[in-house]
Amino acid sequence: MMLAPSETRMVDPAKTFLGKMLLEEITPVVMVLRTPLVEEACLKNGFNFVEMLHPFCLFKNIDVPVRTASDQPYRLHKFKLRLFYASDVRQPNVEAAEEQLKQVVVHAAERDVSDLHSDPPELESVLNQTKPEALPSWFKIFNKELIRTLAFSEHEAFDHPVACLLVVSSKDEQPINKFVDLFNTNQLPSLLNDGAMDPKILKYYLLVHDNQDGTSEMASNILTEMRGTFGSNDCRLLCINSGKDGSEEKQDNPWSAYKNDVPLSEDLGCLLNVNDLNEIKDLMQDLSSKHIIPHMEQKIRMLNQQVSATRKGFRNQIRNLWWRKGKEDTPDAASGAMYTFSSVESQIRVLGDYAFMLRDYELALSNYRLLSTDYKLDKAWKRYAGIQEMMGLAYFMLDQSRKDAEYCMETAFSTYLKIGSSGQRNATRCGLWWAEMLKARDQHKEAASVYFRISNEEPSLHAAVMLEQASYCYLFSNPPMLRKYGFHLVLAGNRYYLSDQRKHAIRTYRSSLSVYKGNSWNYIKDHVHYHVGRWYAILGMSDVAVKHMLEVLACSHESISTQELFLRDFLQIVQKMGKEFEVFRLQLPITNMPSLKIIFEDHRTYASSTAVSVRESLWQSLEENMVPSLPTSRTNWLESQPKYSSKKYKDSSICVAGEAIKVGIEFRNPLQIPISVSGASLICELSARSEAAASEIGGQYRDSLVSVSRQQNDTEFRKLVSSWEQNSSNSLFTLSEVNFSLGGGETIMVQLSVTPKVEGVLKIVGMRWKLSGTVVSYQNFDSDDAKRKNVKGRRKGKQSSSKNLEFVVIKSLPKLGGCIHHLPKRVYAGDLRRLVLELTNDSESSVKTLKMKISHPRFLIPGSLEDMNVEFPSCLERQANCRNSHVQANTVKGSNSCFSFPEDVDIQGGKTLLWPLWLHAAVPGSICLYITIYYEMENVLSEMKYRTLRMHYDLEVLPSLEMSVQISPCPSKLQEFLVRMDVVNKTSSENLQLHQLSSVGWEISSLEPDGTICPSELLMDGQALSFFFKLKNCRKPLTEGSITSARLLQGSDVSLDPQGSNEVLFDISSSVLEDFYHYERLHLGKSIQGHQTTVDFILISQSQVNSVNHEPGWQSDSTQLFSHYACLCSIASTSPVWFLMDGPRIVSHDFSISFCEIRLRMTIHNSSNAAVSVRIDTSDATSSTVRLSDVAAASQYSVSSGNQTGWRDVSLVNDIKITSDVSSSLISKASSPDGITPFVWCASSSTRVELESMSTTEIPLQICVFSPGTYNLSNYRVHWDLRFPEDKALGDGSQQSSGISPGHPFYLNVLQSP
Amino acid sequence: MIVCIAVVGHQNNPLYLQSFTEADDALKLHHIVHCSLDVIDERVNNPKKTGSTLNETYLGLLYPTENYKVYGYLTNTKVKFILVTTHLDVRDADVRNFFRRFHSAYVDAVSNPFHVPGKKITSQTFAERVSTIVKSFGLSSAV
Repeated sequence: MMLAPSETRMVDPAKTFLGKMLLEEITPVVMVLRTPLVEEACLKNGFNFVEMLHPFCLFKNIDVPVRTASDQPYRLHKFKLRLFYASDVRQPNVEAAEEQLKQVVVHAAERDVSDLHSDPPELESVLNQTKPEALPSWFKIFNKELIRTLAFSEHEAFDHPVACLLVVSSKDEQPINKFVDLFNTNQLPSLLNDGAMDPKILKYYLLVHDNQDGTSEMASNILTEMRGTFGSNDCRLLCINSGKDGSEEKQDNPWSAYKNDVPLSEDLGCLLNVNDLNEIKDLMQDLSSKHIIPHMEQKIRMLNQQVSATRKGFRNQIRNLWWRKGKEDTPDAASGAMYTFSSVESQIRVLGDYAFMLRDYELALSNYRLLSTDYKLDKAWKRYAGIQEMMGLAYFMLDQSRKDAEYCMETAFSTYLKIGSSGQRNATRCGLWWAEMLKARDQHKEAASVYFRISNEEPSLHAAVMLEQASYCYLFSNPPMLRKYGFHLVLAGNRYYLSDQRKHAIRTYRSSLSVYKGNSWNYIKDHVHYHVGRWYAILGMSDVAVKHMLEVLACSHESISTQELFLRDFLQIVQKMGKEFEVFRLQLPITNMPSLKIIFEDHRTYASSTAVSVRESLWQSLEENMVPSLPTSRTNWLESQPKYSSKKYKDSSICVAGEAIKVGIEFRNPLQIPISVSGASLICELSARSEAAASEIGGQYRDSLVSVSRQQNDTEFRKLVSSWEQNSSNSLFTLSEVNFSLGGGETIMVQLSVTPKVEGVLKIVGMRWKLSGTVVSYQNFDSDDAKRKNVKGRRKGKQSSSKNLEFVVIKSLPKLGGCIHHLPKRVYAGDLRRLVLELTNDSESSVKTLKMKISHPRFLIPGSLEDMNVEFPSCLERQANCRNSHVQANTVKGSNSCFSFPEDVDIQGGKTLLWPLWLHAAVPGSICLYITIYYEMENVLSEMKYRTLRMHYDLEVLPSLEMSVQISPCPSKLQEFLVRMDVVNKTSSENLQLHQLSSVGWEISSLEPDGTICPSELLMDGQALSFFFKLKNCRKPLTEGSITSARLLQGSDVSLDPQGSNEVLFDISSSVLEDFYHYERLHLGKSIQGHQTTVDFILISQSQVNSVNHEPGWQSDSTQLFSHYACLCSIASTSPVWFLMDGPRIVSHDFSISFCEIRLRMTIHNSSNAAVSVRIDTSDATSSTVRLSDVAAASQYSVSSGNQTGWRDVSLVNDIKITSDVSSSLISKASSPDGITPFVWCASSSTRVELESMSTTEIPLQICVFSPGTYNLSNYRVHWDLRFPEDKALGDGSQQSSGISPGHPFYLNVLQSP
Repeated sequence: MIVCIAVVGHQNNPLYLQSFTEADDALKLHHIVHCSLDVIDERVNNPKKTGSTLNETYLGLLYPTENYKVYGYLTNTKVKFILVTTHLDVRDADVRNFFRRFHSAYVDAVSNPFHVPGKKITSQTFAERVSTIVKSFGLSSAV
C-alpha cells in the first residue's frame, strides 16, 4: 500500500522521472572482493566480473515478501543492487569526475554536429514537441554523472555497502585461505576502516569456475569445503565460459544496453552460453532475495528496536534534549566526524536509509525527522542538510505534503550552500532532485529557477548545462514563457562559449533565434546572429556563418563602431571562404523597390531625361491631334505580327532593338559608414523571336509556379544566378555596369540599362551588384509587385507600361535625336532670338512626314527654312521690297494647330536636319516648354508606323522692360490722340537701348516736329522714362473686302533714337514679329481685327552687352533684340462722336459801343460704323466769370505743348480718374447759380445734325459777351445717339448706343479795346 | 537609481527604451525588459482580480534579477511600461506615482499627430520629459 498509493494523485511518484531515478540510484550497494584469476576468467568475454553481473542486478519482477518494522507485510516487485569493487567504494577523484562530465558534454556535441548545418528549429515545432522528445537525452546522463561524483560520502548511508561478495576462482590455490585473505587485507574502503560504517557486514562467498579449464569436479570439491568453513547458505559455485568460442549466438546481448560507449562487439560475452546466463541470474536473485533483503529487513527491525528504546518516548526525548543542550558549546562540525557507526545518530540514519531502500518511506521519514532535530542541535550542518534532502525525497515518494517536500529541499539546498565549498556539489545534487521533483509536478517555472540557482554555484560548463535545462523548463511551463526560454538559452550559450564548447554555444544561440525572430528586438537579435555567425566561422563553416552575419548587416540602430565591427567581420568571413559569395537579396545597400522606374521608348522617344519625367497625360494632350489615335496604331503592328497578339504579350511593352531600356532604382545605405558597390547591372532574359513562341508554354508554366512562400526564395535565387551566368555568355543584349559608393545614410538613384540586340521577348528579371568587391547580391524585381501594379495600371490605361518588366523587342527602327541649340536657361522678358532645332537620324532608313507641336507658341514658334540663312536681327529691318509671303503661315495660327514641316523635308539615314525656331520671352516667369515632333518611317514594312520625339526645356524669364501706355484724346485736334508711354527697366544690371515704337493700325509720330523723342535712348537698370507721342487713326472704313488684307499689319513706326531716324527701323510686319504679335493677341483672346478704340504697340529695344548668357557658342557681343507688345491699349474716350470747338481766342471789343458777338465753329466727327444723330445743347443760365485760379487749374487740361515738365508719374488708371474728377468738378462749377451770366449763347439753343459713319461736319455757334473778361465756354453738352441699321442693332455690347458728353473747356479772352 | 525605462507595444515590440546609465549595457537591458514581458503576460493572463483591483494598471514588482528590480505597468491599450531600478527598497507608492506621470507623458507623446501608432517614439520632448520624471523619482525616494 505504500508502494502504490491509490489516492487520486496525478502521477504515481515512483513512475515519475525522479521516482525512477531514486529507485535506481538509492539501492543497496554490494561490495565485490575478487582474486585476479576470477577477473582473468571474465576478461575472456570482454568484460570484468562486475560488468558481467551488472545486467542481472536489476530485478524487474521478483516477488519478495517484506515486513515493515511494525510487522505489516508488503511485497517488493522491483529491486536493484549496485555492485562495486572494493577499490571503487570511495569518493571519486575530483579531476577525473570533471573530465568524465566534460566527456559527456563533448560527446553530446559531437552527436549534434550534424544538426549544425540544418536550419534552426521553428518555434512552432519546438512548442509542438512532446516534452521528452524536446529535452536532449544527454541531460539525464549528465545529471546522473553529476550526482555520481558525490557517491560514497560519509554522511549518507545509502551508498554504504550492505553486503560483501567474495569471489575466488577455482584455479586459485588454497581457495579457502584466499577467501579469508580477501576480506582481511587493508584494501578495504576507508568507510569500513575508519569507522564510518559497521565493519560487520553480510558476506557471500562465490567460487567461480572456468569450464575451459576442465570439468567442474574440482570446483565442486572446493565448494563442499567452503560450505564447511563459511556455512552452507552463504556459499555458491558459478560456472562460466562453458560455451564454445563464438558458437553461442544470443538473441539480445544483455550487456549491449550497458556498454554503449564501446562499439558493440560480438565477443562480448561470447563464451557464455544459456546455462551460464541462467546460473548468473539465479545467483543474483538468490543473493538479493535470500540474503540481502532479509538481511536489511532484519537490520531494520533490530535498529528500530534500539532506536525505540533509546529515543522514542517522552522520557527519552527530554533526556536527549538535555544531553544535547550540554554540548551546545561545541564548535560547528561540518564534517561530522564525531559520529561513528555505533553512535545512535548513525544508526538512525542507517535505519532511515535502509527503510528508504526497501521503500518503507514512512519509517524512513519518521527516523529522518527524529534525526534532523538532533543534527540541527549539534550544528552538524552537512548531515542536517543530507537528512533534509532525504526527508524531501521521502515526502515526494509518499506523495504527501508537497509543501513540506519543497520546504525540506529548500532547507537542504540553502544549508549546503551555507557550509561553503564542501557542500557545493551536494547543493547541486539536491537542486537537481529538487528540480526534478518540481518538474514531476508540472511546476516547470519553479524548476527553472532552481536550475538557475544551481548554475550560480557551478563552474561555467556545468552552469551552461543547468541554464539550458532551465530554458527548457520555461519552454515547458504552461503557458510557455518563451522570452525566458530564449534568454536562458542565450545565457547558456554564453557559458558554453566560455568553456570552449562552441558547438553547444551555437546550438543554444540558434534555438533562441526562434524566439527573437520577427519582432523588433533588434539589439538582441543582432547579438545572437552576430555571435552565431562568428562561432560558425571559427568552426570553419563559413557558409552558415555568412548566412547569420547577413542578418546583422543592415543594423542602422547600432552605434558606428558596432556597425564597423559587423561589416568587418562579415567581410573577413567572406574572404575566408576564398571565393565570391553570392546572396539573394542582400540588405546592404537597401534597394527601394517602389522607386523602380523603367524608361523605355516605343513609339514615344525622349530627347532628354527631363522629358521622361514629364507626365504622360501632358504629352498626350499635346500630341492629341498630331498622332494617329492609339488603338489603330497598335492594331496596325499587331496585325502585321500576329505572333504577338496572344494574350501573354498584351501587357508587355514594346521596345526597339538597339535602343536601351533604362531602369532607375534607389539604393540606400542604412549604415553610418561608407560602403562601395561595384558592377551593378541588370539580369535579363531575352528569348529571340524564333524561340519566343516555343517558350510560351514554358513561360506559363513558370508563372503558375510563382508562389509567395519562403522556400521559393531559394529557387528564385538559383534561377537568377543561372540566368545571369547565361547572360554573361550570350550576347543577345548588352548590359551596363555601374560602380558607385554610398556615404553613411546616403541614398542615390542609379540608372542601369539593357540594350537588346535582336527581336524577341525581353524580360528584366532582377539585378546584381557586388558589395566591397567580395559579396555578390542578386535581387529579383518582385514579380508579384509588378503584377499587382499592372492590374492597377490596366485600369488607368497606359501607365502600366512604366512598371512592366516584359518587353516585346521589335526590329530596329530609325529614331530621331533632337536638341535645340543655344537655348538659354534664363532670358529677359521680351528677348527675341533665333534658335536652331537639330534633328539627327542615326539609323539607316529615313523618316518623313515630320510634324511639330509646341506647348507655348507665345514663346517658341517654328520659323521657315529661309530664316536659317538670313542674318539676324538685320533680317527684320525694314526693306523696300522685303515682304515675306507667308505661305504656310496660316497653318501656324491657332493655339492647337501643329506645325507641319514642308512635304519635301525628310531626314535620310545618318543625316541631320537643322530648322530655325524663334524664341520670344513673352512674360516673366518660369516656363516649361514641351516640344513634340512626330515622324513616320520611310519603311512601311516596319512594325511601328510612326514615332514621336519629345523634348522638354525649362526657361526662366526675368523681367526686363515694363511698358505702360496711356492714351488720351488730343483736345486741340480731332482724330488725334496723345500717347504717353512709361517704360521702366526692371532688369538687375542690363542697360537697354530703346529702338523703336510701332503701333498697329494707327499712325504714330513724335510730338516734336523734328522727330526727336527723348534725350537719351539708353535705359539704365531701374530707370524709368516717359515718352509722348501723337497718334492718328489711319484706318480706313472697314468693308467686307478689306478683311483679307488686314492681316498684313498696317501701322507706323517711330524711332526712339536720339539721333533721329538714322538707323533702320524694324519691320513689324516681318514674319517673326508678326507671328508673335498674333500669338500675343491670341493670348488676350482677341482676333487680329481688333476694336477700333484700342491700339496695339510694339516696343523694340536692343541690348549691346549680353550679361545674362555666358553659354558657349552664343556670341556674346551680338546685339540682342527685345520686343514688347502692349496690346489692346484703350483710347480714353468711349464716345464715338468727337467734337471740337474752334474760334478766336482773344477778342478786342469796345464794350462802350455795344456787346460783342463772337462766332465759333464746332467740328463734329463720327468715328463709329453707324450713323449718329448729334444734338448740341447750350445752357446760358449758369456759368459765371471764371476766376484766374480756375484758369490755372484748367490750363493743365488745355496744354498742348510737347516737352513739358512737372508731370507726375501716375499710372494710367489714376490719370483717368483724375480726368473724370476734373470734368465733373467743372460741371458742378458750371451749374452753380452765381449771379448774372456774363455771356449768352445766341442762335439756337439746341442744334441737331445727322452724321453718316466716318464723316465730319461743322456747325456754327455764336455767343454774345457783355463785358470784358476771360470766359470758359464749356457750358454745353453734346448728345449723341447711334442709329444702327436694322439688322445689327447693338452689335457690340461694349459700345454705348447713346450718350451725353460735356463740353470741352474753351477759353476766350475778351478785352476792352482802347 | 532608475536604470532603464521602456515602453513596449501591444505586439510586444519595443517602442521606447532609454537607459540612464553611462555603461554600454543596452543589450543587457533589452534582455531584462524582454524577459519581463513573460511575467507581464503571466500576470495578465492569470488575473487574481478582485473588485478593487479590476481596473488596476499597475502590475507591481515583476521580478528581481541579479541587481535590479523590475516593475510593470499596463495601459488600457495593452502598452506596457517597464521600469528597471537598482533601488532595493522602493516604496510602492513612489513607483505608482512614477508610472502615472510617465503614462501622461506617453499619452501626450502619442497624441502628436505626427506619431505613427505602433512605431517607435522618437519625440525629443518626450525624452526630455521622461528624463525629468526619472530624475525626480530619484529625488523623492531619496528623501
